[in-house]
Amino acid sequence: MKTIKTIQLAVITTLLLGLTACNNDDDDSNTLELESNTVTNLEATQSADYSTNPPSITGDYIKFSFVTGTTTTGNDWDIAFRGSTIIVNGGEATTEDQPERTGEVAAYITSGTLASVTEINTELLVSDSATDGLAIPTGSDNGWYNYNATTHVISPIAGKIIVVKTITGTYAKFEITSYYENGAPNEALSNSQFYSFNYVYQPNAGVTTF
Amino acid sequence: MILNKKYFFTCFSLICFYCSFSQIKEPVWTDSTRVENLDEVIVTATRTIRHLSSLPLPAQLISKKEMEHSNSLRLSDILNEQTGLITVPDFGGGEGIQLQGLDSQYTLILIDGVPLIGRSAGTLDISRLTVGNVQQIEIVKGASSSLYGSDALGGVINIITETPKIGMNTALNYRLGTFNTHDLNTSISYKKRKIGLSAFLNRLSSDGYQLNESNSSNTIEPYSNYTFNSKLTYAISKNTAFFISGRYYTQKQDYVASEDLKGESAIHEWNAHLKLSHSYTKKWSSYFEFYATRYKAEEFLNNLDDSRYSDSNYNHLLIRPELRASYHLNAKNTFIGGIGFNHETLERPDFIENPIFNSPYAYIQLDANPSDRLNIIVGGRFDSHNKYKSQWSPKAAIRYQFSDKLAIKTAVGYGYKAPDFRQLYFDFTNATVGYTVLGYNAVLTAISKLQEQGEIANLIVPISESESDLNSENSISINFGLDYKFSSTLTANLNIFRNNINDLIDTRVIANKTNGQNVFSYYNINKVYTEGLEFNTKWNPTKNLKITGGYQLLFAKDKDAKQAFKNGEVYARNSNNTSFQLQKDDYFGLYNRSRHMANLKLFYTLPNWKTDANIRTTYRSKYGLSDSNGNSYLDSYDSFVDGYVVIDFAINKSFNNNYKIGFGIDNLFDFTDTQNISNIPGRLLYGKLNIKL
Repeated sequence: MKTIKTIQLAVITTLLLGLTACNNDDDDSNTLELESNTVTNLEATQSADYSTNPPSITGDYIKFSFVTGTTTTGNDWDIAFRGSTIIVNGGEATTEDQPERTGEVAAYITSGTLASVTEINTELLVSDSATDGLAIPTGSDNGWYNYNATTHVISPIAGKIIVVKTITGTYAKFEITSYYENGAPNEALSNSQFYSFNYVYQPNAGVTTF
Repeated sequence: MILNKKYFFTCFSLICFYCSFSQIKEPVWTDSTRVENLDEVIVTATRTIRHLSSLPLPAQLISKKEMEHSNSLRLSDILNEQTGLITVPDFGGGEGIQLQGLDSQYTLILIDGVPLIGRSAGTLDISRLTVGNVQQIEIVKGASSSLYGSDALGGVINIITETPKIGMNTALNYRLGTFNTHDLNTSISYKKRKIGLSAFLNRLSSDGYQLNESNSSNTIEPYSNYTFNSKLTYAISKNTAFFISGRYYTQKQDYVASEDLKGESAIHEWNAHLKLSHSYTKKWSSYFEFYATRYKAEEFLNNLDDSRYSDSNYNHLLIRPELRASYHLNAKNTFIGGIGFNHETLERPDFIENPIFNSPYAYIQLDANPSDRLNIIVGGRFDSHNKYKSQWSPKAAIRYQFSDKLAIKTAVGYGYKAPDFRQLYFDFTNATVGYTVLGYNAVLTAISKLQEQGEIANLIVPISESESDLNSENSISINFGLDYKFSSTLTANLNIFRNNINDLIDTRVIANKTNGQNVFSYYNINKVYTEGLEFNTKWNPTKNLKITGGYQLLFAKDKDAKQAFKNGEVYARNSNNTSFQLQKDDYFGLYNRSRHMANLKLFYTLPNWKTDANIRTTYRSKYGLSDSNGNSYLDSYDSFVDGYVVIDFAINKSFNNNYKIGFGIDNLFDFTDTQNISNIPGRLLYGKLNIKL
């Protein structure tokens, strides 16, 4: 009896494996490889004029596309940086001077390492909102960074992975590693507003795993 | 100097010679280190005179003798050498005390039983206080709000100053040391029959020092300060006594913000303390106390062309009348009780209003000895307040003497620290970055004002959450101790402590601003604990040698942080900018806490030579100052400040009771950590001269 059962199991397993293998073979031609990249020293400077009330903050939002892996000036952006603020290309503007949102980009922040975040929880994805704030919140210990009130250094929090649904409906995940040019603040903190981040892009539409 | 070099050298050689032989031949002696310990009394623990040896609470005394032998100048010098105490440098150059792992803002500092004010961001700079006219320092550990109200969360340090002694006494002390540090004390006191008078003056000045040559400003800028204190005691009748004391402290220090911005900072502080005591019968006595103190700090910065760049000032006033009574029910039971009123005002920039605090309070305590072996203290205090939640602070302590050798004691108490003015009334917008910080009581008005001006993008926390009162930070402290007497020359005590602190006040984002920045406000959030043990021992191997040693083990942790590590929510970044998950054991604890602190002190007296010498060693194990790997927690992968040892040496010699000279080296091996430790300037040499008439 036992031998028969074992044989049965083996046959079923072989069949199943064969089938799955066939499926994989079918897909292989269309599946694109995950893209892992590092962006360093992305400059996103803002300046502030406090002689007006309310103070006026100026500076261009630097737009970035995970699809192309580069900065862009067009409407195909996913996220945009200015100072310590990161906006997504979806939802509503929270201030007047933000670039027009043309897509339905959404994001959320989760804890983990860039490698350990393998499944996307699509229910957590949100776009920017005039009432609920930005999808990637600003503020110390609130989103991606921590602000030290004593040293005034902004440090990206380790293990904060930002998951993004891009403008084309694909997904990306990224972790900011520095807010200072060349990875470390200088004494005057004048080299701030330079982003470095690691990201992984899933180019296959609709695939919610990495 | 009457003394010539040759004579001094001969004396010194003889001392050395004497030291090497003293172990063999025991000399005849009159003065000894042993006598001083017999009748140590403490008033801080119970607000009555109690013998330290029978107290159910963990307490420590520092005698005038120890301060003199150690040639201490400031309170910070001597407290740093005590078990479990360490001073932590502040950004303004001040030094606050850490006690049982709790920050300076949680320890109440009293002078003759009344509180000192003038805290900067919670830190009371204890280097402000000279020990020149201090008779004794009393340290009571564990929450003591049942007697003292706010701030007595970790414990109480009471500085008892000298009162006039019979006859006419004048003294002059002068000490000159490294960094052109001059310390001058003069005192004059007179007492005859009913009346006593005293006046004391201290002047301290220093060139300051520079630990980091690349900075445009010094680590400590040059300063000079004066302390004046005068007292009058008058015995009106056999049963009625009057005491009045006035103290004034003033300091001026250079203030350098950058190469282009220079100015000066000044502190002016005065205290007036009046006490009238009367015994009605053998059982009843009462005390009326009136205390007023003001602390003013002013600073300015000028541009290079001498035009004014900035000004700031801080002006804090406390007035406190208190009526206290004690009732000796019988030889074994004593009640004390008191009622009082605190009135406080503060003026400073960036406040929504000039606050006024009014807080009446009442307390009662029973000190009972049901048997010769058993002592029980129970008490409580109620503080009513108009701006934050009122507080009820109970305390109970018990001591049982098992035998001549062994006694055990336990104390449980509640302590609290009222929200400070800043946490309630701050209304500050950073001019360069654009964020806003609001005190809890300022939120309602300030937010609506910001909304009117169109600066608020959206509210994160509903304003209604600021309508109830902010709670005081509070703690329950438990101390369990053993006193053991091995012999008449060797004693030891052990104290195990735990402080559970709740409702710590921290900031959070309450709204987003249209400029992309945030509005922060204060709220009750953190729960932390400190726990550990403290061990002290005292040994007199010979009549002239006293050895004391102490050790503290400390764990100070944030409960939420501990949970976050346990849940695996905390990550760190390695040098390749890759994050990895941290484990439960990787959480080190709160910043600026060393797991181990120890001290060892040797005091040697040579009565025939009227000379005393001592070596004092303090050790502090590694500690963290900030997060270095991007997770805002202190974990085992962060960079730490290395542990260190500081050794001090001092020798003093008297001549015909009126003159005394001293010499010493603090920090013998010139330890410094220029990057991390700003209050250890390296080796300090000094010479000292005392004249008594």
